Amino acid sequence: MSNKKVGCGCIGCSIPLVVFITILVVIISLSVFGFMKGGLANRDNIDKAFINELDIKLPAEVIFNIGPLPITNTIITTWISMAILILIAFFFTRKPKLILGKMQNVMEMIIEWFFNFCKDVAGDQNARRFFPVVMTIFLLVIVNSLTNLIPGYNSISVPTTEGSVHLLRGANTDINTALSLSIISFVCVTYWGLQSQKFGFFKQFINVGRLAKGGKKLFTGKAKSALGDIGFGIIDVFVGFLELLSYLIRLISFTFRLFGNMLGGEILVLILFYLLVFVGFGGIQVIYIFEMLVGVIQGLIFGGLTLVFATLAVTPHEEEEHS
Amino acid sequence: MEGLGISLSTLIVQIVNFIILAVILTFLLYKPVLKMLDERPRKIRESLEEAQKIKDQAAQAEEGFKLKLEAASREGQEVISKAMRTGEEVRQKALQEAKRESQLLVEKARVEIQRERVETANELKKEFADLAVVAAEKIIGKSLDKETHRQIIDNVLEESSSLKKK
Repeated sequence: MSNKKVGCGCIGCSIPLVVFITILVVIISLSVFGFMKGGLANRDNIDKAFINELDIKLPAEVIFNIGPLPITNTIITTWISMAILILIAFFFTRKPKLILGKMQNVMEMIIEWFFNFCKDVAGDQNARRFFPVVMTIFLLVIVNSLTNLIPGYNSISVPTTEGSVHLLRGANTDINTALSLSIISFVCVTYWGLQSQKFGFFKQFINVGRLAKGGKKLFTGKAKSALGDIGFGIIDVFVGFLELLSYLIRLISFTFRLFGNMLGGEILVLILFYLLVFVGFGGIQVIYIFEMLVGVIQGLIFGGLTLVFATLAVTPHEEEEHS
Repeated sequence: MEGLGISLSTLIVQIVNFIILAVILTFLLYKPVLKMLDERPRKIRESLEEAQKIKDQAAQAEEGFKLKLEAASREGQEVISKAMRTGEEVRQKALQEAKRESQLLVEKARVEIQRERVETANELKKEFADLAVVAAEKIIGKSLDKETHRQIIDNVLEESSSLKKK
């Protein structure tokens, strides 16, 4: 009796189980072939032979032109990400209630968590100022990288005038996306710094105060202390120059951190699919899940660093030294 | 630069994309959510305060109720004792009334008896006098003047009764 019951249970279970396994198989096969024919791989090589030579193409492919503007596949994926975010936002705010549904709860939890993070770093007043930009960077990077991991997402190809190209390609794997985000971050940080400190903002780069004081002392005749001041003044100027350099280099580091991580992740998954025999599905799935994590972490890093730099930019430099 | 795929047009499009997204999300998502987040602690605090107020009110009402109950019970007690007192009074009064009435009745009876007795005595006296006259007539053999006899006998009786009284 009990045996029969167990058997029944198994059969009862097995229909959803079969569906689940089917979906899993479809996803896995899609992910294998999707990535092999994926956004970065050169289509010709795969068509000719299964494994010939990995030829990674970095520039995004142009799908069509709107007037003089070439629309690449990464722009299309950015639009998709935007559409997803805007739709979520729309459904979230359609009925904003004080007592929430489940979906609203999740969205609100994310926003609340990130807002509290902003508050912890920048304080309430500044958090409200930085929040829209930082949060949007965070969300866009995450949605970009997660949609990129949808199996089959970037294996759709369309015919164009330049032969068949991929319709979709992870937006973060295009350097233009990363660069645009870092330019925005950079411009916003500079703007906030100027807004808060006026020209005091530049003081951290051009730090000649002590040098001038030393010079004045030299004229009034206190040679000994004048020399010390001049010495430190020169160091100050040099430090200011370094600050300026690191400030400018941020633009590049931001860009390549995101771009490198995302591109590297995709190439890693791609290569692992070619090494399927050696690493097995398990190995690929581990890396795949890891890539999901990387996407979220990159979003957090990009947003968080923007936030931190913005906070540093609006805090007066002298005050910081004294405290 | 070519190898990396940096192109000015894509860059500009992406920047514009980001600005559009930031603006839309700011008005559609961040502002309402932040407003709600700001509002919620206030709402919670308000409702808690409200609850506290209602609780206080209930406690107060209960206190008032208790006081009233006590007063009512005291009042009832008073009414009962007063009623008992009144009842006692009424009883006493009735008792006295009854006593007096009975005494009166007894007195009246006594007077009546006395009167009856006197009447009977008088009657007896008169009878007796008549009898005596008849007897004397018989003895003497001659009729006496009735009126005179009566007078005499009455005098005798008067005397005897006064003697007896002495």
